[in-house]
Amino acid sequence: MFQNTKCECGHQNPVGTVLCESCGKPLVENLLTDEGTLEMRYDGVARRSQKANPQVIDRIWNFFSSVKIAVYLIAITLVGASLGTIFQQESTLINMSGYSEFRDFYKEKYGTLGVIYHALGLSRTYESWWFVGLLVMIGTSLVVCSLDRVLPLYRALTKQQIRKHLQFITRQQVVYNGALQGDKDVWLTEFAKQMKRKRYRVWQEDGGLLAEKNRFSRWGPYINHIGLIIFLLAVLGRGIPAWHMDQYLSLYEGETRQIPDTNYYVKNDKFTVEYYKDDELASNQKGTKVVKLYETKARLYECTDFCDDPIRKPVLTEVEKHDIHVNSALSYKGMSLYQNSFQERVRFISVHPSLMDATTGKALGSFDLLMDDPAESYEVGPYTLTLNDYYPDFSLDDQSRPMTKTREPNNPAFVFRIKGPDIQAKGDVYIYFPMPSEKSKYYEKILNESFKQRGDNTGRFTIKVENPIVDGKMNNIKYSEYTTYLNIRVDKAMPYIWVGAAISMIGLIMGFYWQHRRIWLRIDEDKLSLGAHTNKNSFGLRADVAWALGRTGIEVPPKSLDNRRNLS
Amino acid sequence: MGNRRKWIQYVILTVVLLVGGYAIGNALFTKSTVLAKGDKPPGFRLAGLDNEVHEWKDYEGKPLILNFWGTFCPPCRNEMPALQKQYEKWKGQGLELVGINLSEDRLTVESFIRQVGVNFPILLDKDKKTEKRYGLKQYPTTFFITADGTIQEVVIGGLLSEEEIQTRVERLMKTKS
Repeated sequence: MFQNTKCECGHQNPVGTVLCESCGKPLVENLLTDEGTLEMRYDGVARRSQKANPQVIDRIWNFFSSVKIAVYLIAITLVGASLGTIFQQESTLINMSGYSEFRDFYKEKYGTLGVIYHALGLSRTYESWWFVGLLVMIGTSLVVCSLDRVLPLYRALTKQQIRKHLQFITRQQVVYNGALQGDKDVWLTEFAKQMKRKRYRVWQEDGGLLAEKNRFSRWGPYINHIGLIIFLLAVLGRGIPAWHMDQYLSLYEGETRQIPDTNYYVKNDKFTVEYYKDDELASNQKGTKVVKLYETKARLYECTDFCDDPIRKPVLTEVEKHDIHVNSALSYKGMSLYQNSFQERVRFISVHPSLMDATTGKALGSFDLLMDDPAESYEVGPYTLTLNDYYPDFSLDDQSRPMTKTREPNNPAFVFRIKGPDIQAKGDVYIYFPMPSEKSKYYEKILNESFKQRGDNTGRFTIKVENPIVDGKMNNIKYSEYTTYLNIRVDKAMPYIWVGAAISMIGLIMGFYWQHRRIWLRIDEDKLSLGAHTNKNSFGLRADVAWALGRTGIEVPPKSLDNRRNLS
Repeated sequence: MGNRRKWIQYVILTVVLLVGGYAIGNALFTKSTVLAKGDKPPGFRLAGLDNEVHEWKDYEGKPLILNFWGTFCPPCRNEMPALQKQYEKWKGQGLELVGINLSEDRLTVESFIRQVGVNFPILLDKDKKTEKRYGLKQYPTTFFITADGTIQEVVIGGLLSEEEIQTRVERLMKTKS
């Protein structure tokens, strides 16, 4: 359908223009015959992309340019996002990985619904392709919608014609018509002066006047959109591996571990958990364990040498030390270590046993024995102890060979070969169980007995911890009481998220707390026609107009200026 | 004017396609940590019991059996002699067999290997890093990797008998090319 877009004032308007860009005369047929107030959205200018013959690219563009589509996209995203809140998300299950493990979890915890939920991929809603796709589409829509509207609007507002078409003026939401007595120019100058006192900017042109205030508030929504786009891009930026890390690390007391995929190592010096005493608690909580403090005394190290060398030990340099509490993370160069949880689990670290003469019961010397990577030889007095075998969690396999049940030092056993003065040339073999349990000591006894029968052990030595208990406390034994779980996070997107949110907020404030007010006025012979428009708070606009008219000799009640009310 | 407008449209839609494509692609192809048939296994760089550094690329281009094992796991212990026998039988024809120990102390590993009499390379994983990269769930796990570097089969749990290993090795050697 051909549409003539040239206005009677001579201005050539783009396709889709509702009100002439220059004089404001309605261009659409049914608008001309209609009597109601004008739709002033975007000042009646055409959207940038509106075209007579759209091509494929234009059609894609137009799809994203539609506010209706944007509203649908947002609605679908909201519904989609709510689906992710029905059951727990996979990303919060820190100890699990792998499809089958998650599937079993959902089946066990939520039953059939859980199976369906997991099968549909809703257990990973926020990482799913369709959810990310929706966010991308909303982002696109934001860019395209804004661009298509802000540029024509900007053009329309910077090049406003001052003397508008009569229809444009009389069909505004705030209207005054009346005869003008006295000198027109004097009145006009006086009216302009009054408008200026209300801090309007005023332009005059052959019997026409335009007073305008707070145009900047029209840019609020677009600034808001820029903020939202930065926000969205930052959220999508978390997909870049170096931008985002969120992992958990368990550390027993005294343990140093590498933070996976980084050059950093953490050490847990000590973990403390404190509970409130009964007199600190409310009456209904008395007798229950309420946690007062979780604390991990942590050190952060950076590897400076031999970092990727599997043979040599990495050289670590301490870079940060912090007592990690809840809400008090250890932070270093954008990486934060948070207290996540803890476990009460006793774990051996080291013992300090003595080599004893079995017959006299006299100590011949003592040494330090580590449960992790124990040294291979020890000098004790005149004797040399070589570690032949180490079983962190001693047991026997189905062929009655000694083995370790697990990788944890739950019941460690050390096999030493003792050499020195007055011992047979091949040495004395001795198996030592540091765990002070009856079962361990029983094993120690019968195994050493069997070595004796084989001739490997003369029974001359024993190894044991002297004074294992002093003042009711374990002596010469180091162990960890708690294992702490730290959450290690890197979120490089965060500053951009804040910037985006701040820009968005500025845009919202600009749009919400100021109103763009314009007053057009023309004088034809003795007839004064005044129309005014605002995007919100027309009450304030009517008050402004009535005030200025009153100051120039035309007393009108503000209410009577309301064109919409007069019509109905 | 019209051309410039079109140009801006193309630029914006291209940027959307790139950023959006990357984001959606990321979501669509999140790599699962569990390895399966047809996958390329991740690399490793570990110390061996021989105190040398062993790397993935040392074994590239040869049919390879990668066995993850620990002395704490009875089926791992039980299949060791069978693996050793197969290694002796096929190593002349280019088969490589590597045992990666599951982050145990060197001493514990050494004494077991000495007892069983294993002479294929034994590498020591540290802090379960390699194990995690290979997405291990159960022990032992054995990867049969063809000469072109793809996984032909993943066997989880003990292999039990020599015959079972044998048929797999034969298949592996056939695809050698």
